[in-house]
Amino acid sequence: MWKQFLSKLPRKSSKSDASSGSVSHPINDCTGPLNRNPIQRTSSGNVVPSRSTTVKRTASAIFPSSVVTSIEPLLLFKDVPNSQKQNLFISKLNLCCVVFDFSDPNKNSTEKDMKRQALLGLIDYVDAGASRFTEPMISASCKMFAVNLFRAFPPNTRSCTGGGENEEEEPIFDPAWCHLQLVYDLLLKFVESSSLDAKIGKKYVDISFIVRLLDLFDSEDPRERDCLKTVLHRIYGKFMVHRPFIRKAVSNIFYRFVFEADRHNGIAELLEVFASVISGFALPLKEEHRLFFQRVLIPLHKPKTLGVYLQQLTYCVTQFIEKEPKMACSVIKGLVRYWPVTNSQKEVMFLSELEEVLEAIDTTELKNCMVPLFQRLGFCISSSHFQVAERALFLLNNDHVISLVAQNRQAIMPLVLPALERNTRSHWNQAVINLSQNVKKMLSEMDEEIFLACKKELGKEEEKRRIAEEKREMIWERLESSAALQPVTGNTAILVMPTEAPPITAALT
Amino acid sequence: MATIDEPLYPIAILIDELKNEDIQLRLNSIRRLSTIARALGEERTRKELIPFLSENNDDDDEVLLAMAEELGVFIPYVGGVEHAHVLLPPLETLCTVEETCVRDKAVESLCRIGAQMKESDLVDWFVPLVKRLAAGEWFTARVSSCGLFHVAYPSSPDQLKAELRSIYAQMCQDDTPMVRRAAASNLGKFAATIEQHHLKTDIMSMFEDLTQDDQDSVRLLAVEGCAALGKLLEPQDCIASILPVIVNFSQDKSWRVRYMVANQLYELCEAVGPEATRADLVPAYVRLLRDNEAEVRIAAAGKVTKFCRILSPHLAIQHILPCVKELSTDSSQHVRSALASVIMGMAPVLGKDATIEQLLPIFLSLLKDEFPDVRLNIISKLEQVNQVIGIDLLSQSLLPAIVELAEDRHWRVRLAIIEYIPLLASQLGVGFFDDKLGALCMQWLEDKVFSIREAAATNLKRLAEDFGPEWAMQHIVPEVLEKINNPHYLYRMTVLRAISLLAPVMGADITCQKLLPVVIASSKDRVPNIKFNVAKVLQSLVSVLDQSVVDKTIRPCLVELSEDPDVDVRYFAGQALQACDQVMMSS
Repeated sequence: MWKQFLSKLPRKSSKSDASSGSVSHPINDCTGPLNRNPIQRTSSGNVVPSRSTTVKRTASAIFPSSVVTSIEPLLLFKDVPNSQKQNLFISKLNLCCVVFDFSDPNKNSTEKDMKRQALLGLIDYVDAGASRFTEPMISASCKMFAVNLFRAFPPNTRSCTGGGENEEEEPIFDPAWCHLQLVYDLLLKFVESSSLDAKIGKKYVDISFIVRLLDLFDSEDPRERDCLKTVLHRIYGKFMVHRPFIRKAVSNIFYRFVFEADRHNGIAELLEVFASVISGFALPLKEEHRLFFQRVLIPLHKPKTLGVYLQQLTYCVTQFIEKEPKMACSVIKGLVRYWPVTNSQKEVMFLSELEEVLEAIDTTELKNCMVPLFQRLGFCISSSHFQVAERALFLLNNDHVISLVAQNRQAIMPLVLPALERNTRSHWNQAVINLSQNVKKMLSEMDEEIFLACKKELGKEEEKRRIAEEKREMIWERLESSAALQPVTGNTAILVMPTEAPPITAALT
Repeated sequence: MATIDEPLYPIAILIDELKNEDIQLRLNSIRRLSTIARALGEERTRKELIPFLSENNDDDDEVLLAMAEELGVFIPYVGGVEHAHVLLPPLETLCTVEETCVRDKAVESLCRIGAQMKESDLVDWFVPLVKRLAAGEWFTARVSSCGLFHVAYPSSPDQLKAELRSIYAQMCQDDTPMVRRAAASNLGKFAATIEQHHLKTDIMSMFEDLTQDDQDSVRLLAVEGCAALGKLLEPQDCIASILPVIVNFSQDKSWRVRYMVANQLYELCEAVGPEATRADLVPAYVRLLRDNEAEVRIAAAGKVTKFCRILSPHLAIQHILPCVKELSTDSSQHVRSALASVIMGMAPVLGKDATIEQLLPIFLSLLKDEFPDVRLNIISKLEQVNQVIGIDLLSQSLLPAIVELAEDRHWRVRLAIIEYIPLLASQLGVGFFDDKLGALCMQWLEDKVFSIREAAATNLKRLAEDFGPEWAMQHIVPEVLEKINNPHYLYRMTVLRAISLLAPVMGADITCQKLLPVVIASSKDRVPNIKFNVAKVLQSLVSVLDQSVVDKTIRPCLVELSEDPDVDVRYFAGQALQACDQVMMSS
C-alpha cells in the first residue's frame, strides 16, 4: 500500500484522496482503548497557572484579551456569514493557543472543553475544504501547532536499566492527549488539505518547524508517535522542497541514536516513514541514498534495542534490495560484521533478517559474501543456545537457501558440515540434534562425493588445529626472546611503561 | 637458540595472525604489538610495521580499539619523541572510522602522543592532521578533530593559530549536529589554551552560536561548558557575556537544560563575583529550587550548601532558606533525599541562632521522613550539626529517630545506623549510651540478617575500644555470653564471632577467665558449624593468651576436635593446632 501511494508522491498535485488506505496504521487507531490509567506527569512550560480560579463563560474574560480577535471564537462556523469564516478560523486558532495543565484533570475543566469544541470546529472546517487558506490563516495555524505540540518531554520516570530487553514495558501516556490528539488531527487535515498551497505553506512549515516536529518522535506516548508518522509522511509528500532536508535531519537522528549511544523512542516510526521514502527513490539510486544505506541502515543493526524496530528496519533493507539487488551483499557483510556474538536474542533476530535477505539475493551476488556468511552460520548452528541453533538450522531448510547452497556446495559444505557433525555428536538439545541430522542427510543427498570428502577432512581438522596452536605458541615464544635481545634505546622509554604482554594469554586461547 | 637456524619474520607473523578468523587471536596479536616492534627494532618498526598498520584497518571494531590503544604508548618502540610523528597516520585513519569507541580512543592516543611531541614537530605533523580531519567528508573525522585542537593550538605560530580558531568556529556551525555537539563539549578544553584577548572575541562568539542552536542536545553541552568558560574570563567579561546566557538558560523550556544550570550555577558565582551573584544568580537559583520538574529541583537541592557557602549568611537566610523549607516537604522523595544529604552543611554557614531557629525544625522533619534514604542522609552527617547546636539539643530530638531506624524494615538502613553507633556513643557519652542505646546494640546480635549480626559484633568491639575493658566487662560481656544458650546455632555463632573480636581488646585475664570457658564449652555443641568455628576462634585466641593457657586448655580441646566425625571440624582443628605449634616455635 505504501508503494501505491509513493508512486504518486513525485507528482506535484496533492490529492486528498491519497490519504485513503495509504497508511498501514490509520490515524483513527489511536483513539482506541489505550486510555486505561494514563500515568500522570507534571508538565512544565507555559501552562495556565493553577491559581486561576475565576471561571467565567465568555472566552474574552478567560483568555488574555490580546489573543481574542474581533470576532468571538466560541461562535460556530455555520452561524457566521461566509465573509466572516476566515476571521472566525483565526480567532478559534488563537483561542487554542492556550495550553492547559492536565496533571490535575479537574482544573479548568470548562475552559478545556471550550478549547476542545474549538478544535473540533476547526477540524470540520478544514475537512470541508471550502476555500483556499489565506496566508494569515496558515500562519495562525502553524503558530497554534507549535504552541501546542512543541514541548519538552518530562524526564523519563522508568528506570533506565534493562535496555530494550523487556519489551513488555508499559508505554507512558500523555495526560494531555485529549487535546493533543485533536491538534494532531487538525495538523494532518491541514497538511493534506487541497486548500493549503504548498508554495505559501512552506514559509510556515519551514525547516525549524520540521526540526521541532522531528524532535517529538522521541515521545513516550505511542499514540503521539503514530500521529507524527502520518504527519511526517504527508509533509514529505507535499513539500517537495523540504525533502532533502527531511532526509538529512532524520539521518541525523539515526546517527545520534547509533553513534552517541542514546535512547530514542521513535526509531521504528521514523523507519516506517523512510520505508515509503525509499520505495519512492528513482533508479539508478543516487549516491546520497547509497550512503544512507551504508552509513545509516546497516549501522542501525548495532544498538541493543534493535528488537524494537527490527521489523521496520528489515523492511527498509529489503526495499533497498528490491531497488538494487547488488545491495544484498553489503547487507550480509554488515550483518556479519555487527554479529551480536554475546546476545543470543539478537542473534535470532539477525538470523531472521538474514533469511529475508537471502530470499532476495541471487547466486552471483551471494558468491561475493558467502564465505564469511556461512562461517558465521556454522558458529550459529553449533551455538549452545538452542534457539540460535534452531533458527540457524531452519534457515538451511528454506527452499531458496537450499538452492543457493546447492549451487555453491563446493564452497559451502566444508563451512557448515563441521558444525552439524559437532551437533549430532554432542549438542545438549534433542531438537537441535534432530534438525542437524536432517540437514546433514539433505546435504549428503545433495552431493555425496563432497559430503564424504568433507567428512574425511573433519577428522584431520582437529589435529591440524592443535598443531597450528602449538606452532603459534612457539613462534610467539621465539618472538618474545628475540624482542628481549633488542635494546630499547628509546630516550623516552621512562615515560611509558612497555606493555609487556604476558605469555599466558597465548596459552589460554 | 632458534634464532640461529631459522630467521624470524615478525611482520609476516603479524600478517598471518591478523588473517585468522578467530577474533580472539587477532586481538591477542594486536595486544602484543610491542613485542613485534621490539623484535623488529625501531627503524623497521617505523618503516614496515607502522605503514602496514596504517593500511590494514578493516577489522572488527574490537581489534581497532585495541590498536588505537596500543599506538598511544608506542613512542618508545619507534625510536623516541623525534620519531613520534610516524604514529600519526594510522591513528588518523582510526579517527575516521564509524564506531565511536574506536574514534574516541584514537583521539585520546593522539592527544597523548601530541603532548610529548616537540613544538616544531607539532606544527609540521600534528596541525596538518587536525586540519585534514576537520575538512573530512564524513562527520566522524570532523567530530574527532574537535578533540585535538587544544593539543595543536599552543605551539602554533600566530597565523596558524588564527586559522585554527576559524576552523573551530566552522565546527561550531557545522551542518551535522554531531559535529556541533563535539565542538560544544570540547570548547572548554580548547578555550583554556587560548589567549585572553581572543577568548573574549572568538571563543565567546562560538559560545554564543552554540547556545542558540536549535538542537536541544547542542545547547545542553554548551551549558555544560558555561562554568569552565566563565572561570577563564575576567569577572567583568564573565558578567557581560556568560551571565546573561546562564540566566536565560535557567528559564529554558527544556528541563534538561535547566537541570544542567542547576548543577553548576554555584561554580559561576565565584567567576562573576558577589555583586552579580546577588543581583542575578540568586534569583535564578531560587527559581530552579522551585522548578516544576522534580529532576531540576533534585539537582538544585543537592547544591544548596555549596551555593550558600558563597553567599553571605544574610542572603542565604533571606532567599535560600525559605526554599529549603519548601523542599523539605517536597512531593518527590528524591528531592527530599538530595536536600537531606547536604542540608547539614548549611549549619556552619547560618550560625547557631539561625540554625536552631530555622534549620532545626526542617532537619527534624526530615529525620521523621517516611522515606528511609532521607532519614539516613540526615543521620550520616550528624557531626556537622553537633558542632553547631550542641549535643544536648541533638540527642533529645535524635533518639526517637534512631530507635525507629534501628528497627527499620530495610536491613541496609539498620546497617547504616549500626555503623554510626560508635560515633554517636563517643559524642553522647557513656551515661546517655547506657540508658538508651545499649539495648539496641544487643538486639542487633539477634538480627535475622547475617550482615547485621556481623556488624553488631564489630560494633561491640569498637564500643569496648572507646569505653575501655572495664565498662565492657560490666555492660557488654555478661549479656553477650548469655546468648550462647540461644537455641538457634546461627545466633550462637554470632556470640563466638563477638568473642573473637572482643578478646584482643579485653586482654589476657578477662579472656581467660570469662570468654575462654564459653568457647571451650561450645566445642561440645551438637552442630558441626559451631564446632569448627570454635576451632577458628581458639586459633585467634592463641595470640592473646599465655602459652600456659594454650597448652593446658586450648590444645587439648583442639586435639579432641581434630578427631571429630565431621570433616570440616577436623580440618579447622588441624589448622588451629598448626598455628599453636608455630607460635610455640617462634617463642
